[in-house]
Amino acid sequence: MIFRFRHISLRFASWWFPGGTRFFVRVSLGFFILYFVLVQRTNAQETPYFVAYSHHLEEPGNLEIELSTNYGTQTRGNDFIAPWVEFEYGVKAWWTSEFYLDSQATFGDSALFTGFRWENRFRPLMHEHWINPILYVEYENLNGADKTTIEVVGFDTQADHAPRNTEASKEHQHELETKLILSSDYKGWNISENFIGEKNLGHQPWEFGYAAGASRPLRLSATPETCNFCLENFVVGAEFFGGLGTSWNFTTAGTSHYAAPIVKWHLPHGVSFRVSPAFGLNGNSHAFLLRWGVSYEIDGFGRKVGGWFR
Amino acid sequence: MIHKLAPAMLLVVSITFGIAGSGSATGPNSSRHGERETDDRGVLQAIAKAPVKTRQWHNPYDDQPSAILAGKKLYIQHCAECHGANGRGIGRAVNLHLPYVQRATPGELEWFLRDGNLWAGMPSWSGLPEQRRWQIVSYLKSLR
Repeated sequence: MIFRFRHISLRFASWWFPGGTRFFVRVSLGFFILYFVLVQRTNAQETPYFVAYSHHLEEPGNLEIELSTNYGTQTRGNDFIAPWVEFEYGVKAWWTSEFYLDSQATFGDSALFTGFRWENRFRPLMHEHWINPILYVEYENLNGADKTTIEVVGFDTQADHAPRNTEASKEHQHELETKLILSSDYKGWNISENFIGEKNLGHQPWEFGYAAGASRPLRLSATPETCNFCLENFVVGAEFFGGLGTSWNFTTAGTSHYAAPIVKWHLPHGVSFRVSPAFGLNGNSHAFLLRWGVSYEIDGFGRKVGGWFR
Repeated sequence: MIHKLAPAMLLVVSITFGIAGSGSATGPNSSRHGERETDDRGVLQAIAKAPVKTRQWHNPYDDQPSAILAGKKLYIQHCAECHGANGRGIGRAVNLHLPYVQRATPGELEWFLRDGNLWAGMPSWSGLPEQRRWQIVSYLKSLR
């Protein structure tokens, strides 16, 4: 038993420190240090979803750093763990920019840095409406070994994650992803629907996908006291996501679909945890994914950094 | 090579532009005489756009001391970074003690919190449940 635990520990350590992920770990540590140096903490009002987006943008000047991980079971291949780090910055009250660094480690295989994403979300309407649209544009520069499963498009299936890393990483995914995000708030609930269109900048057709989510805090009003475990700090919800084929064959068949309950826990000093098991809804999906993340919000980051240049 | 570096360059330019932009939008903005210039006029205009019906909205937490305390907690979490711990405003963020803020009805303030003033840098707080926005309004009204 002890031997087994030690073996697993060593394997876990080797995920984080071999070649490709060393850069990822250093960047993460660097930002943690920056966080503790600069930090004034706050609670963001973002929803807990991993895949779906709502119309709630990052507050202007704030920087949120999040470390997230996706653990997945694999039918014809080895299970994997895919960590990524997000830097989400509120450029304006109507514009949020986010940068991702992705990596993954596959059991019995190797660990590697799989690329980066850069997304921007814009709010075209300046007032709250019954349904609030957000326009989303993302540039992705990834390799085929990426397993973060931040979205499902086209005919993405679990078989895409089966090849060994050396083979999969040879594929270069140079993609533009767009989303139409529609989101509403009603009596404490957030309801969000996302329509995804992704285009490989090579020669492939547009790939489509969807994500939808609903969430609500366990208590709507706040208590006067600062507390860690009171219900107001917990947000629960669920999201559904999957592929919708391509512009040549628009369909829900032959792709993967997931259902995922979610819990998010806001600590009073700006730290948030969220966890979400996701269950595959058909044979093309991973039977089980477990996503978890921890985030920190740095209040007034832009103003502090801007002040250095005056 | 340029093909590979282009995205990274674009990212650096965007972040630099973004940070500089937001820094100037929310950062200290002193005049030649050292007086703080706030966005008072913009906020006044924004509050004036509140639908007439909002003036009739009643704060369900009116005169509840616990709601003021809860509102203060929420204010510190979400608002103090820009408006200051004492509500006097930092940079362009408005001084919440000013008469036109205090004269606004609770309904107008709740509407303004929900909608924000996105062009002027005030985010929408629609992600906070309505109850919490009313608690913040209770605290703002207690600043009188």
